[in-house]
Amino acid sequence: MAETAQTPLERSLAEMIIETLELEDIATDDIDPEAPLFGEGLGLDSIDALELGLALQKHHGIRLDSDSEDNRTHFASLRNLAALVEARRAT
Amino acid sequence: MTAPHGQDTHWSRVEESGTVTGMRLMLAIDRWLGEWAFRLLLIPAAAYFWLRRPLARRASREYRHRLQHTFPQLRLGPLATLRHFICFGMTMLDKVRALHGRIDGERVHLPDRATLREAIESGRGGLILVSHLGNHEICQALSRQRPDLRLSLLMHTRHAQRFNALLASADRGERVEVIEVSEITPETAQRLRERIDEGGFVVIAADREPISGDQRARSFDFLGAPAPFPEGAFRLALLLRCPLYLLLCARNGRGYSVHFEALGDSRGVARAARETWLATHMAAFVRRLETYCGRYPLQWFNFYPFWKSPAHGSDRGQR
Repeated sequence: MAETAQTPLERSLAEMIIETLELEDIATDDIDPEAPLFGEGLGLDSIDALELGLALQKHHGIRLDSDSEDNRTHFASLRNLAALVEARRAT
Repeated sequence: MTAPHGQDTHWSRVEESGTVTGMRLMLAIDRWLGEWAFRLLLIPAAAYFWLRRPLARRASREYRHRLQHTFPQLRLGPLATLRHFICFGMTMLDKVRALHGRIDGERVHLPDRATLREAIESGRGGLILVSHLGNHEICQALSRQRPDLRLSLLMHTRHAQRFNALLASADRGERVEVIEVSEITPETAQRLRERIDEGGFVVIAADREPISGDQRARSFDFLGAPAPFPEGAFRLALLLRCPLYLLLCARNGRGYSVHFEALGDSRGVARAARETWLATHMAAFVRRLETYCGRYPLQWFNFYPFWKSPAHGSDRGQR
């Protein structure tokens, strides 16, 4: 169980991550919204980041921009990813 | 991102000879005096580089030896290394001609017309692998013939700068888009995905040694000895989940032959099956490359040490 509760959007993004990356041994609840997705957290790598970018494009119509610093922030945690989806919805 | 590299023999540091001015000159010679004059003038130029670039000369010689060993029936004739340089010079002219739309469609022979037509008309798009063999710029001439063939050329920024300078000087068709990258970012991946979703084709070189040392490579037997091939293009195929093709354009007598083959399809490959897919398709690509080297022996334009040798003692890019 994650330490911080997931919002419904975070939960659906967690499902997307698990499905996209075929993370069979991880449950939606296991992904702490505030824990890092890459490196020591969920342990995703740079190729996974590309996969996630494509999944975001496919499921949420999100087009990332070329600023790698921004993208790093967006991809840092489930919470940040949810914030990105929220922000793009608003516009 | 390019990691600092210990060896100055790395391909990205061996400058491809010739400047934009030089290219313009070539075109002028071709236009006013004809191809034979160009070829004649090329001989001293090629001889100069042949003498002044011992590294390239050695690479060419090594290639020739391995080729001869793999295809014993092949007759390369005298001065093969020098002629290899001359052939490379001719590709410069072909590149410029292609960019300026001066390749006569009637001189382009396309034996795999059916495969190409099917690929375009399926609307599925795909990833097209190109190599050092021949001169894939001729595909620009192809896209003039088939306006519905939309190509996006993925190119390392370093090369793209020179290439763009050339493009700027040309009255080219607008069919070929150049995407400059130094690494594949999520943004680039999305852009490529869009192109493929629209039925377009992404073109990438698959036999370049990795640009930065951290990019993964695998060793395959190529012309009888292990050589490192970058995984990048094949990982990209797995990411984009699309049909995979091989394209090469070679000079064939007075004309050009364009080969276009289906190599596979990465749609529906499960994560667990990826490594196997990668190994199988990389091996298939290397085999095809080898076959075409036997067919167009002096048109594999790779003038840096390609095979691992104890002298270079390097496992750079290797896992």
